[in-house]
Amino acid sequence: MPAPVRRPAASARVRTGHFGRRLARALTRDPGKVAMFLALLLVTIVMLYPFEYMVVNSLRSEPQYLLQRGFSLSSWPALFSALPVGQELLNSTLIATAAILVILVCSSAAGFAFAKLAFRARGLVLLAVIGCMMVPVQSIIIPEYVNFANLHLINTYLSAILIYAALGTPFATFLMTAYFRGLPDELVEAALCDGLSYRQTFRRIALPLAKPALVTVTVLQFIQIWDDFLVGLLFLQEPTNRTITVGLGTLSSGHVVSVPVLMAGSLLSALPAVVVYLFFQRYLISGLTLGVAR
Amino acid sequence: MAIVPEAARAASGAGRQGRPRRRSALGRSRARAGLTLIIPAVVLVGALIIVPIGQAVYYSMTNWNGLTSQWIGPSTYAALFRNPTFWRVLENNGLLLLSVPVAIAIPLGIAAMLHEHVWGWRIFRSLIFLPTAISWVVIGMVAVQIFALNGTLNAMLGAVGLRFLEHDFLGQPNTALLAVAATFVWSMVGTNTIIFLTGMSTIDPGIYEAAQLDGAGRLAVFTRITIPLLKRYFQFSFVITLITAFTALFSLIFIMTGGGPDYGTTTVEFFVYQQAFNVGQFGTGAMLGVVLFVIIFGVSLAQLRLLRGDH
Repeated sequence: MPAPVRRPAASARVRTGHFGRRLARALTRDPGKVAMFLALLLVTIVMLYPFEYMVVNSLRSEPQYLLQRGFSLSSWPALFSALPVGQELLNSTLIATAAILVILVCSSAAGFAFAKLAFRARGLVLLAVIGCMMVPVQSIIIPEYVNFANLHLINTYLSAILIYAALGTPFATFLMTAYFRGLPDELVEAALCDGLSYRQTFRRIALPLAKPALVTVTVLQFIQIWDDFLVGLLFLQEPTNRTITVGLGTLSSGHVVSVPVLMAGSLLSALPAVVVYLFFQRYLISGLTLGVAR
Repeated sequence: MAIVPEAARAASGAGRQGRPRRRSALGRSRARAGLTLIIPAVVLVGALIIVPIGQAVYYSMTNWNGLTSQWIGPSTYAALFRNPTFWRVLENNGLLLLSVPVAIAIPLGIAAMLHEHVWGWRIFRSLIFLPTAISWVVIGMVAVQIFALNGTLNAMLGAVGLRFLEHDFLGQPNTALLAVAATFVWSMVGTNTIIFLTGMSTIDPGIYEAAQLDGAGRLAVFTRITIPLLKRYFQFSFVITLITAFTALFSLIFIMTGGGPDYGTTTVEFFVYQQAFNVGQFGTGAMLGVVLFVIIFGVSLAQLRLLRGDH
């Protein structure tokens, strides 16, 4: 592509410092790109507005919020007295960690089998497992609730862990199967020749190689479980065992709490998932686009 | 979600890759190892997804209240389809679907701009995708403040001289549904932008250079080259957006409007919860769950057909 001819435009001579000069040059060379830059800036502001709103208003007291003027830290202690925040953060962490462990075990083992070990009706079983991705939670939540009530497991960590694990396993299995299919068959054969059993091959050879896929599953599921509301709302009804997202959601339906306190709670509950996002963005995107990328 | 075509391809590919050698001892031990390794996943998914779906279908034909149930039969569905509230709720779903094209078009435009690699595009990409990490509960919390009578939107309308448009957006059915739809569109931006951006990065830059040499402008390149080459990505984003609209808005509606005012923002998925856990009609709730499942299943099947037609 031939380089665009640089025109000595008058605006390039305006002395407004380094940035100004670059902007001026860009404007004359490619006004379209500058317009796009500004449009993207606007989009970003719209996308980040809720964060700005939460931060600013959580730093106000109720009267300051009504005036939209002034700052104080009084809403944060108010949040901690309105909600057992520490306990709820702990609950979220424990439940998410346990469910993710179950998902990782189930999906990596099944993924390896579906990708590398031939058995009868393999395709059909795989289709049944990953077809469960299509089942909306709302379609199964009522029988699920009654089943767990009959087992006296409502309001236990176990009920939420099992349901999150079951909901996450189909997609995770799909992802792991796709990943293991990408590993060469020779790898398995070589391991077998070295005298390893199939299960040893899985655990010592395949699993360590699958680290990127395992991280992707972990990150996706962490955000999914951390952010879930419906399952927690039904299966974790006590302040002592509910997650931070459920605590926050039920707080708002009471309509008694001040907006700054709600915003402090929202910010606190969003923070862990945002931090995970910032560190593991790459994995999240690869998991999301796997569905079409191949 | 929305991976059914891949599932089908995976399933058909499974036969190709290492057909079971029934007679060899190695084949037998391999099959045994395979079956052992799938047990945890199959048991988990079977007991907690497949069995409950079966239960939901059964209970949908009873007058189940959670404790006792009496068999009524398929006539429960006939009664549901005669219920005007059900149609009201379904209509809300239909109206929400009208926002799906918007939820695809805006991210398409954003992705196209990011793909031009303007100054700082990586930072823009990260920040635009960031809201996908936050929960519907948090999104709903802030949305309530934006659409409230003394909220951001009304303040902005007042500031630009459109005071006559000021409104208690969440206080009336039509505007409340519009507010839910707008929030839904906003929260799909990150996901759909990333999908389209991924698609655009797979297009060979040589095609663009050739088009530019032929004197095609930016818009012509976009409409004649980029969009046709993104077909698969359009389908993927369409299905994801559709499924989200049908099955993922419960928490948002719960926080923003509670389904009201007057069923104004109650969708099928919200109706499931309401019927079962507010009214105690577990049978009706299960039936609505089955209806929702059938809708999603239909969408997935249609997508599968479309993709099959491609090959």
